[in-house]
Amino acid sequence: MTATTEIQAPALNDSLLDSVRRDYFSSVGRTILTLVCLALILSALWFLVNWGLVNAVWFGTPEDCHKAAGACWAVITDRYRLIFFGLYPYEEQWRSALACLAILATVILSCVPFFWSAKRLPVLWALGYGLFYFLMKGGVFGMPVVLETQWGGLALTVFVFSSTVVIGMPLAIVLALLRRSRLPVVSTVTALFIDGIRSLPLLSILFTAAIILPLTLPGFLVGDKLYRVIIGAAVFFAVYQAEIIRSGIQSLPAGQEEAATALGLNYWQTISRIVLPQAFRFALPPTINQVVIAFMETALIVILGFFEITASGNAAFSTGGWKPFHTEVYSFVALIYFVFTYSLSMYGSYLERSMKLGLR
Amino acid sequence: MTTSALAIEVDGLCKYYGAHQVLHGVNLTVKPGEKIVVCGPSGSGKSTLIRCLNKLEEHQQGRIRVLGTELNDEIDNINEIRREVGMVFQHFNLFPHLTVLENCVLAPMLVRKIDRKTAEEQAMTYLERVKIPQKAKNYPGELSGGQQQRVAIARALCMKPEIMLFDEPTSALDPEMISEVLDVMIQLAQGGMTMVCVTHEMGFARKVADRVIFMDQGKIVEDAPPADFFDNPQHERSKLFLSQILGH
Ligand SMILES: Nc1ncnc2c1ncn2[C@@H]1O[C@H](COP(=O)(O)OP(=O)(O)OP(=O)(O)O)[C@@H](O)[C@H]1O
Ligand SMILES: [Mg+2]
Repeated sequence: MTATTEIQAPALNDSLLDSVRRDYFSSVGRTILTLVCLALILSALWFLVNWGLVNAVWFGTPEDCHKAAGACWAVITDRYRLIFFGLYPYEEQWRSALACLAILATVILSCVPFFWSAKRLPVLWALGYGLFYFLMKGGVFGMPVVLETQWGGLALTVFVFSSTVVIGMPLAIVLALLRRSRLPVVSTVTALFIDGIRSLPLLSILFTAAIILPLTLPGFLVGDKLYRVIIGAAVFFAVYQAEIIRSGIQSLPAGQEEAATALGLNYWQTISRIVLPQAFRFALPPTINQVVIAFMETALIVILGFFEITASGNAAFSTGGWKPFHTEVYSFVALIYFVFTYSLSMYGSYLERSMKLGLR
Repeated sequence: MTTSALAIEVDGLCKYYGAHQVLHGVNLTVKPGEKIVVCGPSGSGKSTLIRCLNKLEEHQQGRIRVLGTELNDEIDNINEIRREVGMVFQHFNLFPHLTVLENCVLAPMLVRKIDRKTAEEQAMTYLERVKIPQKAKNYPGELSGGQQQRVAIARALCMKPEIMLFDEPTSALDPEMISEVLDVMIQLAQGGMTMVCVTHEMGFARKVADRVIFMDQGKIVEDAPPADFFDNPQHERSKLFLSQILGH
């Protein structure tokens, strides 16, 4: 016992100051490098604090901003409703806000393990999306109808993103299972489909969904452009996610399916209770990654004339003399993206930690 | 289910992997309550034979009847047989994402449609029987090999099977853990379970087996009570095999 304490003793005495000195100031070269970097960081911080906080204008007109040296957050406080809700009718924007909350609540609840069952998850999604749809579209309970073409801003971004994942994830599971089917025709056709879509850029798929499909589909199948684009994005998400799930299934210890079969479980019971729960644990890091990418890619629908959050941000500064203050608007939009993607990654690493418990 | 005096009837069983024939016309009958030990050199087809008995492997020729039910392509028959036949594997194959208790209640709840409370009570009695009730809430990864194999036996027993198949249940275990698993199997044999065990534990075979079956190159070479098989083997190949595993 005494021997171990003697060995550990120096490490325990190593204070923060000592380790900083050792890591950053142990030689002349290191000291110079450390000081230069420190100076750069401090001056950047100095500028940001001055620009973004000290000298910033929080409320007012473009003229007030021109007089000040700092950031013009007044454009946000003045135009935030345009950024968040796009062209949605002004008096009805509370509906868009509620709808957005409904989708966010659905997404957050979907992250709670209690809802991870084939019975609860569909009910949750049906409720969340039903609520979103009726709030956004109206036409019931005396709410005036608002067409999809007027939907925009954060509500649209969140809706497109979550629908992509909610439709794409089950589709990915089906594709992954079909690809490992024992029937050669089924697995080959699925593989061709997956590899075919994966070799196309997302943009071309979105264009096809938005512009070409209506020319080829019978009228009653066309639907609104929004839904076609969501389906296109979901298929694109699904083919990548299918490969992620498939590799997760391949990491399963040998004999798991056999043990389940020998116990008398049928195919679906084996897949849903034994194979997928383990495959998702293995595939969690790339899955979270794919979901984050799907969120970023919602910005692409701008090109098809949708008014999602980058487009409504654009609109926020392009009129009323706010034009010089695009940096502030884009910083704000970037902050919103950051909040979403960062919480997704935090959730991912939380899941990874909690699931390690059950897989040692 | 037609009643039959036999637990297992195998008649002219042939099994191929592609063009490679692994079982060459195997005949075997097992009466209810009988304990059979299957041994033989590596690659002789022991695993393949017992895996055909619950259709983990598909056979190409011959007939297999288990508890009077013909093992053919009918999914109902296959399911019925799998419900009544428990299997224990060399590498345990516990479900690592489920606790010991969940491992034990999963199949009874899904396949036998027993409610959770009854299934858990029943699982605890079997876990007590294999002397590991204190680990019910642990995950398999937190258990030693011997403990995992005992849980695997309890998991199979929770389905209340008529027949238990064992495929080298102790050969992945450290020597000091072998006896705790064999003790459970001996206790099970004494309780009257019909058992087919692929194993090279000759002490176990002498103690509980009614018959020892020696396989070589996909055929049953010798089928005899353990006393005869060990003290007076009839065939050259059995003699060679016995001298190899008992000899040194
Ligand atoms: N999936 C497979 N594909 C092709 N050949 C196989 C397969 N499984 C087993 N074999 C072959 O079948 C033969 C019998 O294998 P089996 O596993 O039944 O032997 P065993 O008696 O259990 O051997 P061991 O004592 O090593 O477990 C071997 O020659 C083996 O190479
Ligand atoms: Mg074997």
